[in-house]
Amino acid sequence: MHFKLRPATKEDCKEISRMILELAVYEKMPDQAKISHEELERDGFCQNPFFECLVAEVPEENKSKDGFTVVGYALYFYTYSTWKGPTVFLEDLYVMPEFRGNGFGKGLLCKVAKVGKEKQCVRLQLSVLDWNTPSRDFYAAQGAQDLTDSEGWHFIRFDGQKLDNLANEAPKD
Amino acid sequence: MASFILRKAEPRDVPDIMRLIKELAKFEEMEEKVVLTEKDLLEDGFGDHPFYHCLVAEVPKLQSSEGYTVIGFAMYYFTYDPWIGKLLYLEDFYVMQEFRGLGIGSKILKVLSEKAVKTRCSGMHFLVAENNTKSIEFYKRRGAADLSSEEGWRLFEIEKDDLLKMTAK
Repeated sequence: MHFKLRPATKEDCKEISRMILELAVYEKMPDQAKISHEELERDGFCQNPFFECLVAEVPEENKSKDGFTVVGYALYFYTYSTWKGPTVFLEDLYVMPEFRGNGFGKGLLCKVAKVGKEKQCVRLQLSVLDWNTPSRDFYAAQGAQDLTDSEGWHFIRFDGQKLDNLANEAPKD
Repeated sequence: MASFILRKAEPRDVPDIMRLIKELAKFEEMEEKVVLTEKDLLEDGFGDHPFYHCLVAEVPKLQSSEGYTVIGFAMYYFTYDPWIGKLLYLEDFYVMQEFRGLGIGSKILKVLSEKAVKTRCSGMHFLVAENNTKSIEFYKRRGAADLSSEEGWRLFEIEKDDLLKMTAK
C-alpha cells in the first residue's frame, strides 16, 4: 500500500486529536484524554512548540472505511539526560487498526529516530503499558530495553490538587 | 539551621552541577553511565536552544562543605502529554547528604510546583528507581502518584547503536 510519512501541519490537528482519543481507548483510559484540537494547534505550532508530530497519510483511493486519509501519527519531544545528553522521547505512536501490518508503525518509528539523530540525540525513550504485549514486542524487536524491568524505574506524577497544594506553599519572593 | 538560597543556574555553575550529577549517579549506583562533560552541559543548557533549565541551592561560604557553596540542584524541562497538555519534567533532583533534613529539597519541590502552575502545566512528572524508598516516601508524603504501580507504565529505551540501525532503513 502506498503511504506518505510527513511532518504534521496545523490543519492535521483535528485528525491527530481523533487518533489520540482512539489510542486512549486502546490504552483503556478514554476519560483521561482531555486536550482539544485547538490546544494541540496552540501547543504544537507556536514559536517554541512543546512537541513535534509526524503523520502517516494514504492516498484518497485507500482511505479508511470512515473516510480518513491521515491514518497514523507519532508525537515526540526532546528531553535531556544528565548522564548522556539530548534524548528524543516518543510520547505517542499509533496506527489505525485497519492499516496495521503495512509497515506504517515501523516507518514512523524510524523517521522519529532519524529526526532525533539529526538533533544529536543519543537515545530514544518511550513508555508502554505492562499489559500491552504487541507494543512491547514491537519495540523489543527494534532493540528497545525495558528499563522498568532491568533498572526498576517508575514514573511518578504530581497533578491536580496535589500540585496546587505544593505550589501554594512556595516561598513568596 | 543552614541558611540557603535557591536561584537560577548560571554558566559558572556548570562545574558544580557536573559534580552533583556524578554524586547523584553514584547514589543511584550508576556512576559509570555518566558520559556527559562540562562542555556538553554548558552548550546544552546555556546555548541558543537550551535543552534544560536548572535551579541551584547555595549556602554561604562559611557553611560550605569542602569549599563548595552550591550544595543542591534540580534540572527540569517541559514535556507534553497529548491527554492533558504541558508538563514540567523533573530530570534530576539532589541535595548533598550533609545538607539534608533542612528543608532544602522540600523548598525546591515547592518552587518547581509553583513554576509548573504558573507556566500552565497540568502536572509534574519524573522517574524514581523502585529501590529508592526514601525518595518514593518523600514524594508520596506530598501527594505524588506512582504511575508504574497504579497504571502499569514501563520505561523503554532504544540506545544509539540500535537507533542508527533504524535510521539506515
